[in-house]
Amino acid sequence: MSEEGLYCEGDPLDLLNQLEYILESDPLIDEVGFIHPSQFVALNEEAGGPPPSSVGTVLQSADESVKSKISNTNVLNTVFWNRDHKLGISTKVLLPLYNAAKHAFMAANEQYKMHKNLSVERDGSGNGSVLSCYSTSLNILETQVMKHSRALLLLSCDFGTAWNSRKLVLSKKQHFPIFMDELLLSALVLSYSPKSESAWSHRRWVIKMIAGKCSNLQEIVEKESELVKKIAEKSKMNYRAWNHRCWLVSYMSGGQVLHELSKYRDWAGLHIADNSCFHYRTRLMLRMLEDSWQKQNVNGCSGCNFEIHQVWKEELDWNEMLIKRYIGREALWLHRRFLSLCWIKHFATDIHDASCHSDHKTSTSHDMVIFMDNELGLFRSCSAILDNDFEDFQSHAIFSATYILWLTKQVSECLGIELREKLLAGEPKTLLNKVCLEKAFLWDSLGGLCGCI
Amino acid sequence: MGELEVEKHVKYILLVEKRKDDFESVVMEHLRMNGAYWGLTTLDLLGKLETVDTEEVVSWVMKCQHESGGFGGNVGHDPHLLYTLSSVQVLALFDKINVLDTDRVSNYIAGLQNDDGSFSGDMWGEVDTRFSYIAICCLSLLHHLDKINVEKAVKYIVSCKNLDGGFGCTPGGESHAGQVFCCVGALSITGSLHHIDKDLLGWWLCERQVKSGGLNGRPEKLPDVCYSWWVLSSLIMIDRVHWIDKEKLVKFILDCQDKENGGISDRPDDAVDVYHTYFGVAGLSLLEYPGLKAIDPAYALPVDVVNRIFFGR
Repeated sequence: MSEEGLYCEGDPLDLLNQLEYILESDPLIDEVGFIHPSQFVALNEEAGGPPPSSVGTVLQSADESVKSKISNTNVLNTVFWNRDHKLGISTKVLLPLYNAAKHAFMAANEQYKMHKNLSVERDGSGNGSVLSCYSTSLNILETQVMKHSRALLLLSCDFGTAWNSRKLVLSKKQHFPIFMDELLLSALVLSYSPKSESAWSHRRWVIKMIAGKCSNLQEIVEKESELVKKIAEKSKMNYRAWNHRCWLVSYMSGGQVLHELSKYRDWAGLHIADNSCFHYRTRLMLRMLEDSWQKQNVNGCSGCNFEIHQVWKEELDWNEMLIKRYIGREALWLHRRFLSLCWIKHFATDIHDASCHSDHKTSTSHDMVIFMDNELGLFRSCSAILDNDFEDFQSHAIFSATYILWLTKQVSECLGIELREKLLAGEPKTLLNKVCLEKAFLWDSLGGLCGCI
Repeated sequence: MGELEVEKHVKYILLVEKRKDDFESVVMEHLRMNGAYWGLTTLDLLGKLETVDTEEVVSWVMKCQHESGGFGGNVGHDPHLLYTLSSVQVLALFDKINVLDTDRVSNYIAGLQNDDGSFSGDMWGEVDTRFSYIAICCLSLLHHLDKINVEKAVKYIVSCKNLDGGFGCTPGGESHAGQVFCCVGALSITGSLHHIDKDLLGWWLCERQVKSGGLNGRPEKLPDVCYSWWVLSSLIMIDRVHWIDKEKLVKFILDCQDKENGGISDRPDDAVDVYHTYFGVAGLSLLEYPGLKAIDPAYALPVDVVNRIFFGR
């Protein structure tokens, strides 16, 4: 028999009432988690002294029926735990609580939708008293939908219909703070389910709703970025979280983009295995490039390029430093592929606007030769396998060789024959076959793409 | 290397459908339509679809249809493209697309195309290349691709291509093997694969294979059976599947089986679920594992089902 089946204290509706009451009385709850019954004792002891605040505050203001139920079933704090704006829900009540929340929500939502349609139909009737009666009951139903959907979403984070019902209620409102409350609820859901796609999507919906109508969008965007950082620290390589951050970039000002890039550089340096955080930097840097092209088109000045040139140079140097410090990290090498590719295409050409695709590639630019010499040096220093016992060194060598091959394939038309021959000279492929022979079929194919035999 | 435990997987799938007494299973009820697609397609690939009562499935699917024409993840749930495709795919498995008012379903999908060619997942406007794939795949199965602006849809997908050759959810989004599948699948169905640098994307995709033979979905991630589908199907569509070690991948998938109770997990020794069971079996089908029906890499349906739809019986 499942553990949940053992629950026999009180009926599920009481549980739902209790949960909704706690949420009502402590609107600042910022973290929720499911805890095993055995953890309650430890939590209460750790906190020391009287039972958690929720029960005390709840009892003061609760209406009589809720009050008695709370004192009956939660008297030993074995179901809910609420202190310092943290909420714990016992795993033993999850099933009955979920079922109660779902039924309450589905019923309220159905009634609300029906009522809403009716009131739309009646709209034209012109009967004032009927209209006001409808709008009163509509308000009551709205409150029910909001209350039950909140409880449900704390138990089932991707219950799309519950998120939608909130959007439906909110879409007619113009009251700004209500939208901020949605960001809080979404953050609360993300505290127990940081990958919840619906919770992230709800944030974007809210931001799209208020963008253009609020004066502090920049501030909201900054807070969003900060939230992603916080969540990314606990939930590694969280695609949904970072995707949200990338999405925010289009709402940032030019200054904010630059600020984000520098503000979070140290963070990235501490999370060198998180490919998403480097992709985020890619996104920011490409946005800078786009902006600078636009400025050039408007002003015709190439001077605006100087700043971005510097940013690129610094990122390349920083990345090289990280590569040398942390052996065998794929994300660092992939970031370098991006940095180098753009460097070659946009900065390392002698003549301004010279396209890589022009037919006059008899000589390679001076900058290019210097740049590629440096990359070749990096490859050589990283491909000397210092210690065969450690997989990391082998990976390091493989990443360095595939880096050179990849770059050569991508920019071969910019490279002139001499440079290409110098780069390839068989070295990367020989190394790959030595270190990782089992992938020989792959190295053959990839080598073929770059014109090396 | 072990063998594919066909009988046990069938038993597992049939059992999972009936589990309703624990929190972990009821909390997934909002996406039951996806679960039905994963489970039933797996059964079909294993040659065991006849163990299921067709009428029961079809009438349940039809109960999930919303007045808008779209389908919800379960009875009484809001419609979304994610569940609309699964519904159409499930009906296709049973050769029951004819029970649909295809015009109504197609109008729902076409109504979600935005001016820039992208698709929203539902009326609330979240945009993602996954929804582009779903719309295109679904409309193609319903013979109604003419209801959308295909050119614009393709243009939007191409705008989500990254410098590494992969694709993200929206322009500038990080490359992810799941999104790559969606974009390559959509481009393949619309005959637009020429927009892809096959060598560059193939390079990125084959770098997803890790030492154990399994595939990951992004750099630095652990391998996961579901990417046997997302990565492999993409490699097949762009004709670069010979760049990975197929034998090692077969072994990795087989190592993720629960040999006692059936089912496949994300990695060896983890807990199994119907999602990974489907992707494991589908991956093996792409790898031409003996005894399995062939699966179509773009439509994610058995080849005989796709042929039935496009070429008649």
